[in-house]
Amino acid sequence: MHSVSVVTNATAPGLGPDGAAEPVDGTVAVVDEWAAGYVAAHGVQRRLVDAALRCIARWGIRKTSLDDIAREAGVSRATVYRVFPGGKDRLVEVVFCHEAGRFLHDVDRELAAAQTLDDLLVTGMTAMLGVASDHAVLGSVIRHEPELVLPHFAFHQLDRVLDLAEVLCRPHLERFLPAADVRPAAELLARVVLSFGFRPAAWVDPHDPASIGRLVRTYLTPALISQTASPAQEMS
Amino acid sequence: MARDGIGTATVEDIAREAGVARATVYRAFPGGRDELVSAAVTHAVADFFVGLWADIGDVPDLTTLLERGLVAGRRRLDEHAVLQRALQDEADQIVPQLATVMPIIIELLRTELGARLASERLRPGVEVGEAADLLARLVLSMIGSPGGWDMDDPAAVRRLVRGQLLAGVVEV
Repeated sequence: MHSVSVVTNATAPGLGPDGAAEPVDGTVAVVDEWAAGYVAAHGVQRRLVDAALRCIARWGIRKTSLDDIAREAGVSRATVYRVFPGGKDRLVEVVFCHEAGRFLHDVDRELAAAQTLDDLLVTGMTAMLGVASDHAVLGSVIRHEPELVLPHFAFHQLDRVLDLAEVLCRPHLERFLPAADVRPAAELLARVVLSFGFRPAAWVDPHDPASIGRLVRTYLTPALISQTASPAQEMS
Repeated sequence: MARDGIGTATVEDIAREAGVARATVYRAFPGGRDELVSAAVTHAVADFFVGLWADIGDVPDLTTLLERGLVAGRRRLDEHAVLQRALQDEADQIVPQLATVMPIIIELLRTELGARLASERLRPGVEVGEAADLLARLVLSMIGSPGGWDMDDPAAVRRLVRGQLLAGVVEV
């Protein structure tokens, strides 16, 4: 079985021993792979993801080969395969997850400093929606090669993203919500981020603190708190 | 497309299946294969939601509408053989096609939910347009990918609708 030990054993800020809830067998492969990448902040992995992003920005995903990435990063082909074991097919997921992970890692301190659930959600939403709107490579890929990106975020493939969201959110949400409510809360937040990230709306503007504050305080916090108001029940 | 796959169906195949000349296909769809595929997907999506609307039937309130919509939507999706096959074999083709149709669906859903919300007791600060937009997005996301929610369990659906969907929007 693909183990999540890389996640749970990591000594990174924000991912404690309870960092990953029991994942469904097989669905966490991506999660532990990318989480290991960003949590360990391994030099070669970062260099490869950066190189991949530069290649993708230049040529798009379809025309970027693992050889290009190796050359751009100045490493051997074998190294690329070690970091991207799924090869080209998994490249999008790995790069996306690295980017999400890197970004969250950067705001980890800010998230950890949040004193209230509102603060936490405003910080997280601003960061995630901000990156969705400002990330040059991500934006251009979604526009020019949607067929390579969108399937990873739709229908049953979204499950892996939701698992990822749980791993990322758990250490932070657990400070404010009962452990059993974290998974459903992480799912809701992931849906909101993906929906407004892929399809922006005027009323949710990551560059306007008032707008994100309103989304969080009016709609999201009450939805998350409501779960705890009723007898805590596991999602089935 | 259902039989041969989206990627493999040619204009000739489609013309033969419909019993018309190739020229007729191009007259009806000057954009050729791409336009035809996109029209077929749009038609299938419309068909899906018209059927879903019929499944839901007359409902007294917003809560029931959402509960029935999630359950019936999920069921229809699971049973949609063509879509399931396409997702399995040609996700890279079908998902972007569906994504281009989704704004229309969100808009329709937003309008319906907005009308329903207007007669609900909204929580302080809630605006109908925002709430309808958020609900439309979340409902579609949940139908497409239920995540950890079991849409066959009425108690779970109840919790989902009253909690995650409506707790921030309407007064209980």
